Amino acid sequence: MAHVLLRHRDIPNLNQLDVYQKNGGFEAFQKAVTAMKPNEVTDVVKASGLRGRGGAGFPTGMKWSFIDNKNWPHYVVANADESEPGTFKDREIMESNPFQFLEGLALASYAVGANAAYIYLRGEFWQVAALLDEKIADMEKAGLLGEKLFGSDYSLKIYTHLGAGAYICGEETALLESIEGKRGQPRIRPPFPPAYGLYGKPTIVNNVETFTNVPLILAYGAEWYKSMGTPDSAGVKIFSLSGRVKKPGNYELPFGTTFRELVYNYGGGILDDRPVKAIMPAGASSSLIVVDDKALDTPMDYASVRTLGADLGSASVIVIDDTVSIDWVINKTIHFFKHESCGKCTPCREGNHWMLHLTERIHSGEGSQNDVSLLLNVAKQMQGKCLCALGEFATMAVVTGIERFPQDFQKAVKA
Amino acid sequence: MTKQLTLTIDGVQVTVPEGTLVVDAAKMAGIDIPVFCYHPKMEPAGNCRMCLVEVGRPVIDRATGQAVMENGQPKIQFMPKLETACTNTVSEGMVVLTQTEKVTEGRKGTLEFLLTSHPLDCPICDKGGECPLQNLTVEHGPGKSRFLYDEKQHLAKHVPLGELIWLDRERCIQCARCIRFQDEIVGEAVLGFEARGRMTQIISLSEPGFDSVFSGNTSDICPVGALTTADFRFGARPWELKASASICSQCPVGCNTTFNTRREAKAGGEIVIKRVMPRQNEEVNEIWMCDKGRFAYHYAESAQRLVKPTVRQAKASWTDAFDLVTQTFEASKSDVVVLASGRLSNEDLFNLKSLADGLGGKSILYTDMGGGNLTAQVGVGQGTDLGKLGKGDTILVVASDLYEEAPVWYLRVKQAADRGATLIVANSRHTKLERFARYAIRYANGDEVKTVADLQGDSKIAQEFANAQNAVVFFGSDGLGLNGSANLAAACAKLLQDTKHVGKANNGLIGVWQRANDQGAWEMGFRPEADLASAFKNKIVYIVGADPAGDDPALALALKGARFIVVQDILETLTTHMADVVLPAQAYTEREGTYTSGERRVQRFYAAVPVHGEAKADFAIAGEIGRRLGLNTENGSAMVTFDRLAASVKDFAGLDTNKLAEVKPQWPIVGRGDLYYGGTTYENKQGLGVQLSTAAERGEAVSLPEVRAESALRPREDQLLAVPVTKLYDRGQTVASTELLTQRIGEPTVSLHPETAKRLGVAAGGRVSLAFNGLSAEALVKIDDTISAGVVLVPRSMGLAVREPVSVQVLGLAEAKVS
Amino acid sequence: MRVIEPVWELGRGLARTFASLFEKPVTVQYPEEKREVRPRFRGRHVLKRYENGLEKCIGCSLCAAACPADAIFVEASENTDENRFSPGERYASTYEINMLRCIYCGFCEDACPTEAIVLGDNYELSFTDRRQAIYPKEMLLEPVPDAAMTTPRKVEPGVYQRSVPEMKDPQD
Repeated sequence: MAHVLLRHRDIPNLNQLDVYQKNGGFEAFQKAVTAMKPNEVTDVVKASGLRGRGGAGFPTGMKWSFIDNKNWPHYVVANADESEPGTFKDREIMESNPFQFLEGLALASYAVGANAAYIYLRGEFWQVAALLDEKIADMEKAGLLGEKLFGSDYSLKIYTHLGAGAYICGEETALLESIEGKRGQPRIRPPFPPAYGLYGKPTIVNNVETFTNVPLILAYGAEWYKSMGTPDSAGVKIFSLSGRVKKPGNYELPFGTTFRELVYNYGGGILDDRPVKAIMPAGASSSLIVVDDKALDTPMDYASVRTLGADLGSASVIVIDDTVSIDWVINKTIHFFKHESCGKCTPCREGNHWMLHLTERIHSGEGSQNDVSLLLNVAKQMQGKCLCALGEFATMAVVTGIERFPQDFQKAVKA
Repeated sequence: MTKQLTLTIDGVQVTVPEGTLVVDAAKMAGIDIPVFCYHPKMEPAGNCRMCLVEVGRPVIDRATGQAVMENGQPKIQFMPKLETACTNTVSEGMVVLTQTEKVTEGRKGTLEFLLTSHPLDCPICDKGGECPLQNLTVEHGPGKSRFLYDEKQHLAKHVPLGELIWLDRERCIQCARCIRFQDEIVGEAVLGFEARGRMTQIISLSEPGFDSVFSGNTSDICPVGALTTADFRFGARPWELKASASICSQCPVGCNTTFNTRREAKAGGEIVIKRVMPRQNEEVNEIWMCDKGRFAYHYAESAQRLVKPTVRQAKASWTDAFDLVTQTFEASKSDVVVLASGRLSNEDLFNLKSLADGLGGKSILYTDMGGGNLTAQVGVGQGTDLGKLGKGDTILVVASDLYEEAPVWYLRVKQAADRGATLIVANSRHTKLERFARYAIRYANGDEVKTVADLQGDSKIAQEFANAQNAVVFFGSDGLGLNGSANLAAACAKLLQDTKHVGKANNGLIGVWQRANDQGAWEMGFRPEADLASAFKNKIVYIVGADPAGDDPALALALKGARFIVVQDILETLTTHMADVVLPAQAYTEREGTYTSGERRVQRFYAAVPVHGEAKADFAIAGEIGRRLGLNTENGSAMVTFDRLAASVKDFAGLDTNKLAEVKPQWPIVGRGDLYYGGTTYENKQGLGVQLSTAAERGEAVSLPEVRAESALRPREDQLLAVPVTKLYDRGQTVASTELLTQRIGEPTVSLHPETAKRLGVAAGGRVSLAFNGLSAEALVKIDDTISAGVVLVPRSMGLAVREPVSVQVLGLAEAKVS
Repeated sequence: MRVIEPVWELGRGLARTFASLFEKPVTVQYPEEKREVRPRFRGRHVLKRYENGLEKCIGCSLCAAACPADAIFVEASENTDENRFSPGERYASTYEINMLRCIYCGFCEDACPTEAIVLGDNYELSFTDRRQAIYPKEMLLEPVPDAAMTTPRKVEPGVYQRSVPEMKDPQD
C-alpha cells in the first residue's frame, strides 16, 4: 500500500519543493484558499473522522470548530515537541516529508482564520528547525506563504520556535507558555486553547502527524480517508515500534492492524525469538499490557486497545520480552518523569520524587513488599489530583506494572 | 450590577456575584476550604492542590436548555475527579462538598506529599505558631509520614534573597505566592523559579537581590516559614507577642499597622517592638505595607533618644525647663515662633497652634512643599477608596515619584491602572509608575504648571480627564520646592474644579506630602514659610519635631540669629545642640494620638511600649507650657485634646475618638484562625478612621489662588540646576537609625544626564563635587538619560541641602575620595 | 492485780522506747549527709549538652509556652559556624527560669523537642533576694568536661546544619 504520511518512502526527494509540487503538493491548499470557505475545510476534516495524533485522540475537526470567533486574532500551533520516550514519528515527517506537514498546517490556519502559525519544536530538534526554516523560506519564495495568497485576501506566516528541552512543553498549555517566553508550566484549564490560547487568543494546537493527514484528506476527500482504518478510528497511523524487536522503526499502518502483525510481520519478531511479555502502546506514559494471544490479536485502534486496559496514545509501541523485569521498567519511567516534572503542582512534584526513591530501592533489591504496596498507594494518591496529565501519566506504568506483574516485584524485593 | 448566582456548599445556600471563585464563595458562607497557593488578592494558580473539593453541576437537557429534574430536585452530576476550589468559578445550582471522605483523603494526600520535602523544623521556625502548613497538617494531615526521613533532600536553609528577606529552601512548598505578589500586585518581577520538578527553587532575579520596597509582604503571605525577615529572624515566637494597633508615621499614606511587642533582655527586660505588621484597612493600605514602614521603626529605640530635659546643654528637671521656657515666652509673647513638622500628631499640632495663637506668635510648618490649604477645599471627598477606581476613572500623578515617596499609593494606583483606570503620569523624568501609565508625559523642568494647564485643552488626554467618571490628582514636590509645589497645587486644583472633579468621593486632590501628618498640620493652621532666616531673626524659636540645622547648614546659620531656642524632639540632633532648652518628646510608639493622612483620613494610633526616660508627649509639653502661660490647653490626655480639637477645627467637627475606632466588615477576611487564606496580616479591630469632608463637598465657597504662569526655576544654557527629589530610604532621622537599611540608604548619589556626565568627565559610580548656596559637598554619580541635560537630581535628606531648585557648580572628581 | 497492769503497760512502752535506741536511725544528717532522690524526682532544671559539648537547647521557647507558671523566659539568636552554641541555626541567647515561680511540674521537659531541659535531682535552692531566684542560662547549663568543648566555639563549616540532629522515622 502506498503511504499516506510517509510518502517520501515511495517518492524520492519529496522534501524538495518542486518534487512535492509535481506530486500534487499544495493543490489542496490552493483549492481551499481560492475556492472554499474556511468552515468548509473544517467540515471536510470533521467528516473524515480524523482524530488528534498527539495522544488524546480528540476529533480534530471538532476542535477546529470550537475556535472562538468573537475573539481575534487566531493562532495555529503545531506541537512538534515529540518528547514522549519511544515516539519518533514527527521527526521523520518533518525531515523527509516537510511540505505535507507544512501544507496541513497552512490548511488548518486557513480553516480557523489564523494569519500566523507556530511550530514548537523541542530544543534537541534544532537541526529540524533549521531545515523547516529553509522549507518555509522556499514556500515564501514560491508564493505559498506570505501576503494575499493565490490572489485571495488570505495571508499566512509560519514561524518555528525552539523549546529548551522539556517534556512538559509537549503539554499544549505549557507549550503556549513556552512560546510566550514564560516558564514551561501548564495553565489551569478551562479555558482551553480554542478559547484562550497563545497570548490569550483563540488557538488551535495539533500534533505534527495530525496536520500531515490534512492535505490528502482535502485532496481525496473524507470518504477516501474513512475507508481506511476502523469506524471509530479512521485513517492511518504511524506506529513507532521500539523495544526488544528485531526491526524497530516507524510503520505507517491503518488503524485496526493487530499487535501481532506489527510486532511479527513488520518488526520481524522479538530478539532471540523470546516470548513477548508486555507492551507499552503509548511510550513511557502508557499502561503496561499483559501480552497473551488475545492481546496480540487485538486490533490497534483507540477503542480496542482500551479493552486491554491501556490507551493507544501516540502509538509508540514499546515491546518488552521476558528478559526484562517490570520493576526495572517502572524504575526507568519514574526516573524520566521525576526528571521531567515541572514542579508546579504538589502531587506530581513530590509524588515522583517519592516514587523514584521507592522504585530505586525496589529495583536495587533493598526494598520490601511494604515498599511495593506503598509505591502503589503513592501512585494512586497522585491520580486525579494533578494539574495536568503528566502526573497522571507517571502513575500509569507503576499502577499497571504492580497490579499486572506482581511476580516481578516479589522477585525484586528482599525475602 | 453583576449577576448573582446561588450555589450550595455543604448544604448551605450561598448567593454570590458571577465570577466568584468557589473558595471565596465558601469563605463568604463561613466555610473554610484550606489553601496554600491561593490568595484572595491574587489570580489563582492551582499549584498546591490543597483546595480539592467535590463539585457537582446541574445536568442540563441539551434540547430544552432546562435542568433535568430528578425527584423534584435538579439532577446533579458530580465530576469524576476532585476539583480545585480556587480555580473554579461558581455557576448557578452548583453543589460543592468539602467534607466528604474523598475530599478528606485528598487533603491528607496533598499534605503528606508536601511534608515529604519539608524539614519539619517547626521548633526553630519563625512561622511556627502562625504557620498555615502547621495548622492545616494538624487539622487535615496524616498523623505520621510513610516517607523515610533519610531520603529527604536537604537544601540550603540560609539563603539571603536580599538583605531584608531570607529564604529557607527546604521549607518552601513552591506555592509561588511571593513570585505572584511581585508580578501581579507590585509589578516588579524580581523573584522567579529556577530549575524544575523537585529542584524548583525561588531565586531573586534582581541586582541587588530582591530589589523591591514591598519585600516584607512576601513574608506575610508565605504559607510556610520559607521567607523570613532579617529584622525578626528568631526574634520571638508568635504566641509570645502582644499586638498594639498603630499608624505608620513614615509617609502620608497612613498605613494601618500592628506593633508586635515583647519583653527583651537586651532592653533590660523592658517591652520592645519586635516587628511591625500591616493591619487591614481596605481603603488605605489593604493588607500591605512597604519595607520602610516595616523596618524603619528602630529609630524610636535609638541610643540618640533624648531622655531628660536640658537647659543650656546641662541636664535639668522638667520644672526648671518649664520655668525657663515659660518665663521666656511670657516676656516676649508675640516674638515666639513655633516651627513644627508633620511628624507630630494632630493633637500636638493643635496644642502648639493654640500656644502660638495664645501668645500672638507665629506658627510655621517645616516643609518644602505647599498646597495643603487646597486639599482641604478640593481634596478627595469622604468615602474615597483608590481600590474602587477602575475603568472609566482617571488618575493623574504629577511631579511625584510615588514609588519612592508613598509606596503603598504606588501599589494602589498601579492596581487601579490594572483594573482599567486611565493613569496619567507627568514628571520631568522616568519614574517606576510610568510603566503602568496610559499616558506618560515628560515635561521640561519649569513646565509643571503648563503641563497641568494643558490638560484643560482639546487633546485626547484632556478629554479623557474631563470626561472621566472619577478623577484623582496626586501632586508632589519631585523637582520642586515650596514655591513650585504650591503653584502646581493651585494648577491641579483649578483643573479639578474646572472639570467638576471635586466635592465627591473618589474625586479630588491629594498631596504627596513629605511627612506623615503634613496634612494634619495644614488643617491645624500651620503654614510653611519660604524665608525661615528672617522668620528666626531675633525671635524666640520653639522647634518641635524638626531638625533644620541638620538638614541645611543655611538654616543652622539662620538659627544663630535667633534670640532663644527651645527644641522639642525625640532624638539628639544638630538643632538640639544649638538649643537653649531641649525638651525630650515621646515617640509615637509610646503614646496615643491621631494622624491625618494625605487622603485626609484621621486615624488613631495607640501606645505600644513604655516611655523612654522622662520624655513627655509633644501635646502634653505644649499643653503644660500653655497652662503655665494661663491658656486653657490640655496637658494630660491626647484624646481630650482631640475632643477639643474637634470642637474648634471646623473640618473635624462632629468627630470623636469612638468614631475613629469604628470598624466594619472587610473583604477579604484576614487575620483570624485561618492564616492560610490571607496571610499573617492583622485584622482591623481598632478602627478604620474617618475621612474629613472637603469644603467643596459641604457646598461651601471654594476660593482657589491664582495660578502663576511662571513656576519653578528652569535650567539655563550656561549652568546646571540642582533639583530636589525624594528617596525612600534616606538619611532622615526616622530611617537612618535602622542598621538593616544602611545598604539601601547608600551614599548620597546625584543623577546626571549622560551628556552632562560626559562633559564633566565622570561615569556612573564616579564622584563629583557640588557647590551651591555657598556650600559644597561630594556625591556619587548615577546616569539617568530621561532627565534634562541641564539638571542634576539631588536626593533630599541625604546630606545635600537642596530645598528649592538652585543653580549648582558641578565638578567631576578624578579620584574616588572617601567622604 | 489492778496495780500490776499499769506498771506492765508502762514497762512495755518503755521497752519499745528502749528497743528503738538500737534501731537504725531514720533521720538523715542533712546537710552533712544527703539522701538519694527517687528516679523520677523533679528537682532543679539542667540544660543538657550533646557529647561533643554543643548545647541541646535550640531556643524554641516551647518550654516557656508549656510552662503553667510562666517561669521560663527564652530569647533566641542565630548560630554561625564561627560562633556556634548548638546544632542548626538557632540557639538560646537568653534562658532564664524563675525558681520561685516554678512548680516543678515537668511540662517543660515534655515540651522540649531536643530533650535539652531536664529536671535534675538538685533541690537545694535558697535565695536571699528575689532576683537571685532567676537562674540564667549559665547556671542552668551543664558544665563541660573539657574546656575545648565549651560553647560558643568555632566549628568546621557546614557540619552542624540540623537543629534536631537525629530525626528518625516514627516507629510504632
